Amino acid sequence: MGQITSTWNKTIKEFLRQKTVLFWTIGWPIIWVLIGSFSFTGDAPPEIVAYTRGAISISMMVFGLMTAGMANLPGNIAQDRERGLLTKVMSMPVSPWRDFTGRILALLAFSVLSAMLVIAVGFACGARFFFTGIDFVASLAFILLIFVASAGIGMLIGTFVKHVHGAIMSGVGLTVVSAALSGVMTPYAYLPSVLQNFARIYPISSANSAITFLLVGEEYAGYNPLSLGQTVATAIIALLLFIIGLIAYSRFCWKKE
Amino acid sequence: MTENLTKEYGKKEVLKKVNLKISKGEFYALMGPNGSGKTTLASILASVKSPTEGKIEIFGKKPEAAKKITGYVPQENFSSPLLTGKENLMYFAELLGYSKKEAGEIVKGLLKKVGLWEDASKRVSHYSGGMRKRLEVATILFPGLKLLILDEPTTGLDPSARRKFLGLVQELRNEETTILLITHIGADADLASIVGLIDRGIIIAEEQPEKLKRNSGLENVVNIETSIKSNKVASLLTNFSEKMKVLETETGYRVFTEDVEKATPKIVRSLNEIGCKVIRIESVKPSLEDVFFKLTERKVTEAD
Repeated sequence: MGQITSTWNKTIKEFLRQKTVLFWTIGWPIIWVLIGSFSFTGDAPPEIVAYTRGAISISMMVFGLMTAGMANLPGNIAQDRERGLLTKVMSMPVSPWRDFTGRILALLAFSVLSAMLVIAVGFACGARFFFTGIDFVASLAFILLIFVASAGIGMLIGTFVKHVHGAIMSGVGLTVVSAALSGVMTPYAYLPSVLQNFARIYPISSANSAITFLLVGEEYAGYNPLSLGQTVATAIIALLLFIIGLIAYSRFCWKKE
Repeated sequence: MTENLTKEYGKKEVLKKVNLKISKGEFYALMGPNGSGKTTLASILASVKSPTEGKIEIFGKKPEAAKKITGYVPQENFSSPLLTGKENLMYFAELLGYSKKEAGEIVKGLLKKVGLWEDASKRVSHYSGGMRKRLEVATILFPGLKLLILDEPTTGLDPSARRKFLGLVQELRNEETTILLITHIGADADLASIVGLIDRGIIIAEEQPEKLKRNSGLENVVNIETSIKSNKVASLLTNFSEKMKVLETETGYRVFTEDVEKATPKIVRSLNEIGCKVIRIESVKPSLEDVFFKLTERKVTEAD
């Protein structure tokens, strides 16, 4: 446990003390919640405005989770490798699995913090949701899938992009582009059919739509993403990304040359 | 101990059947230029890299099994600049399996030992290069570590920080602790009980530093600080040097001559004639860099 908690401690402190990490994972989504809440809702009836703000808050929460997994995690891995910390840790009696678990748990804690703050700001801006207890639990499961998929992609970036800035920029770029193309940042209904198909396959946008469907309603999700086939595919692809990322990390980052 | 240790990267052989034996409690300095294989050798001993061939034993154990008793300080500044000095050491203490309470006590002692206790709560980003290196050395001072491997620890430190740091390394010497210092600086290697010179993956000489200098046959070295450095100056100085060898230094040149007294005024005159002022000229004892140069005809600071 000591090795997991020590890595957890180190990683979470590094996340919380890095201004760029805080900005991209918490600040940026909050800025968009504020902009979205007051700019894009126009003259719509108050009830619709409140749910639209809810949908925007969910999208931005998902964006924050994506940034945490796809940019902060690879940045952290690349940083540790570049400054020789991974070499140092490899020379110690430390198991790669414990190092990995500590990192992922720190990322999870940081992602939860980001998600809570973004949703809290959304609430403060008038966002409203309607859901039952089961919907809420199901939403948490989809949030976990987003986390898992983002962390998997992040581990792949962190493993194969060697330099810190390269890893962070690749992560941010992939987050922004994939969020835009898959309907996380744009309404599903406005996407061309090719991208609508992509939005259903890409586990992050699929889970985003599922959460929006569960907490705000189908008209805000653009379609019903909760078919059995899509739900199972989302879970499998998210888990696959995580497993592939995990294998890459433990094989290549900890590889003895 | 290593036996016929070989390391290849593709077709390039970085270490060629290296046999290295370091006794318990010895302070061994491995000196060589960049690319000579010294860091690769250190990484293999620290179990970070695998050898292509050969045998390694650290206190009778294979490197992987010896991780618990081996402390390694890589060349890079690996401490986290976002954490405080104390937090960095706590991280390593807990990685080594100490409980929070035990770790707290040990870390306090280590910070005092390396002279950083008063700066323990400062973030490492506010540390100087020397302070950061001392903190990183503290990561190999945890109880139970018997082999300490320091890879180029003084690189990038200013002279004062370097002296302070070497003072700390000297204090680590005891009968139970074996130190392997990797360096390309002769003055650092001079502190060791045994110095091994490595070039192109082969240990070319191994001896006590004074013996190494004595056995090299170098007796008279003229150290010249010049106003300019150029090919013309170097080529002129070769006329005064034994076997036409002249070693370029940071501030000038070193000339190896048999008769210093005779050669000195001639050197000054010749340099003045070509418009090069001699700022300082002195007869000095040969250094380990000189020995390396004599043996390989290459500067130890030269990359391979």
